[in-house]
Amino acid sequence: MEFSFSEEQLLFRDTIYKYAKNEIVPLCEEADLKSEFSFEIWQKLARMGLLGLPFPEEYNGQGADVVTCCLASEALGHAGVDSGHLLALGAHTYLCTDTLFKHGNEHQKKTYVHKLANGEWIGCMGLTEPGAGSDAAALQTTAVKKGDRWILNGSKTFITNAPVADVCVVYATVDKSKKHAGITAFIVEKNFKGFSTGKPFHKLGVRASTTSEIFLEDCEIPEDNVLGNIGEGFMYAHQTLEWDRSALLAPFVGAMQFMIEQCARYATERVQFDKPIKSFQAIQHKLADMKMVMEAARLAVYRVASLKDAGYPINHLQASIAKAFVGDWGFKVASDAVQIFGGYGYIHDYPVERMIRDAKLAQIGGGTSEIQRLIISRLLTL
Amino acid sequence: MNYELNDIQKSIKENFKKFCENEIKPNASILDAGDEKAVELLKNNIKKLGQLGYMGMIHEEAFGGTDQDLINFAIAGEEVSKACAATFLSAGASCGLCGMPIRLFGNDKQKEKYLPGIISGDVIGSFGLTEPQAGSDATAIATTAKRKGAKWILNGTKTFITNAPIADVCLIMAYNDKEAGPGAGVTAFLVDTHTPGFSIGKPFDKLGYRGSPTSEIFLEDCEVSDDAVLGELGKGFIQAMQTLEYGRIGMATVSLGVAVACMDEAVKYASVRKAFGKPINRYQEISFKLADMMILTDLSRLLIYKAAWAKQMNDPEAAVLASCAKLFASEAATQIASWALQVHGGYGYIKEFPVERLYRDAKLGEIGEGTSEIQRILIARDILQKYGS
Repeated sequence: MEFSFSEEQLLFRDTIYKYAKNEIVPLCEEADLKSEFSFEIWQKLARMGLLGLPFPEEYNGQGADVVTCCLASEALGHAGVDSGHLLALGAHTYLCTDTLFKHGNEHQKKTYVHKLANGEWIGCMGLTEPGAGSDAAALQTTAVKKGDRWILNGSKTFITNAPVADVCVVYATVDKSKKHAGITAFIVEKNFKGFSTGKPFHKLGVRASTTSEIFLEDCEIPEDNVLGNIGEGFMYAHQTLEWDRSALLAPFVGAMQFMIEQCARYATERVQFDKPIKSFQAIQHKLADMKMVMEAARLAVYRVASLKDAGYPINHLQASIAKAFVGDWGFKVASDAVQIFGGYGYIHDYPVERMIRDAKLAQIGGGTSEIQRLIISRLLTL
Repeated sequence: MNYELNDIQKSIKENFKKFCENEIKPNASILDAGDEKAVELLKNNIKKLGQLGYMGMIHEEAFGGTDQDLINFAIAGEEVSKACAATFLSAGASCGLCGMPIRLFGNDKQKEKYLPGIISGDVIGSFGLTEPQAGSDATAIATTAKRKGAKWILNGTKTFITNAPIADVCLIMAYNDKEAGPGAGVTAFLVDTHTPGFSIGKPFDKLGYRGSPTSEIFLEDCEVSDDAVLGELGKGFIQAMQTLEYGRIGMATVSLGVAVACMDEAVKYASVRKAFGKPINRYQEISFKLADMMILTDLSRLLIYKAAWAKQMNDPEAAVLASCAKLFASEAATQIASWALQVHGGYGYIKEFPVERLYRDAKLGEIGEGTSEIQRILIARDILQKYGS
């Protein structure tokens, strides 16, 4: 049991934090307000190597370990970068590119990971369907072999980055009767015939990340674009869950620290009944609860990361604990932050307003809080 | 960074688990009766823990200890408290609340006099800070120490003192110079409980931890020599606060132990109890409660390990992390105890099932070693000092 970060990791974190605060954060409020994905922010993230952190340098990556990936995401959240762009980063790097890197052949890696890791291309992951959310294995998109091509038909929904993505890892079944074992991953480029996306959804939070449906209408995929082995797709999708439940949660931990600092400052400046509201215990106690939750959340997230670095494949219990806790207790942190700001917390001019909208996603995306409890209770009562 | 227990820690966990399940847990409900037989069993438990090395884990080798990492102590402590929270509390008040300040601030003579006995479990220590009018506001203590020749005369009343009825020695905090204020005018005295003028009240009839006796202490012209002064004169309050940082990790640990015991009982019961034709753990109303118990106990443990690690490393965040761990673990424990009782339904409400006792025990975590309210004040103070300007 040892909780320290290396000097190198801390230095990297601090660099990211400062850069984000100066270069990225000033652009975030407007992007969120307009619900617009900012290519300017994306290029800045690319410039810092943040879109390809975990991949080897030969694929335009930075060769970072999982803990460092989490530190970078936490630092971005801590600086105040909006959760929308951070979700876009998460879906791109950890859900799309990492799957291509892990299961792709050398040609596929050279073709795709290269361009994704340096931000030239944007990636997304297509698993969820209108009728298959928590029950992901119920997906209906089909893949049928026709000559040297695969023909995909179906629709995907709630796909982060779909409207801006150049490439998507699409999960489809080659044989419904085989259930999980029929699911296969395909690499689909946006200009493949039969691939189209819907109008971006108007969302409650994480608004600067774009999300839409994907339609596959007799979409033709070259044989070479099967990712990994036929029938192993569900396993690949499953492997992204550890990212969902570590690096994709880290921005929310950073956001909690951001909120604590914002609230401490506001409570010092805001005077009511002739004294700063920080002198009232009702405010102090909210701050204390926020800090307590942030500390627990941080431990939960870095444990998943650290175990992943140590080579343990999938730690369902630890991953689900992190996801459920950051989601449910993190939402309370955001709610307390808005409460401390009062009416000002309810308007967009102050930075905590979007936090409560963004925090809600952590209870839903990447496996709902309910699914996490289902997993944990199954492990407990086996 | 490494979130896994090392080999030594794994074997500590295993050894203590085995020992406590066989030797401590079977008597937990008998201790809960809080009668004379319970007191004998408690003393015996403390001696057994002494023999096993538990009481000396946080003490120097020169006095019989093994001077281990605080995380190791927390690992062992979880197993002890899981088996019997009352035993943990009394053992901790002796080797921790009393023994730790002796280790940190005592001179060699004092260490030689008390620590070997505390470490073996033959001597029982206690910690006398709280008074009838001074709980959360410990600076309000009224006990005085007056100089008379080469002696100190102690007068005052202490209350809610764990182990007072069975203690051989008690660390008493008293004002020797009220004018100097708490930071410079309070001194800690190591008082042998057979000293004339030292007496105790009738043990309190408590909600929980009934196996760990608690009472008032009366000091009526209680005369001690300079040998009883712990560390520097006037530093008693600061010593007490530093001791409580360890105490908070201890209170978090016992809360965790109680919570894990509740979870284990609930998981077991929910697998055998059937309703509407299937085990109740097949209903999400029950199984999701079990999941929440797992989430909260697991994170309590991580917070405790982190706080213990920070304390060990002299990390500047150590105090606030101890408060976070204590606050989280204690509130988690009362919540979990309530859920566990609910999972048991009517059976949880009767003494035949352990959750009835655990439910009562859990509540102390939110009160002892600084209430939840005090922890929130301490944490908020830290935040506002850092960012509130």
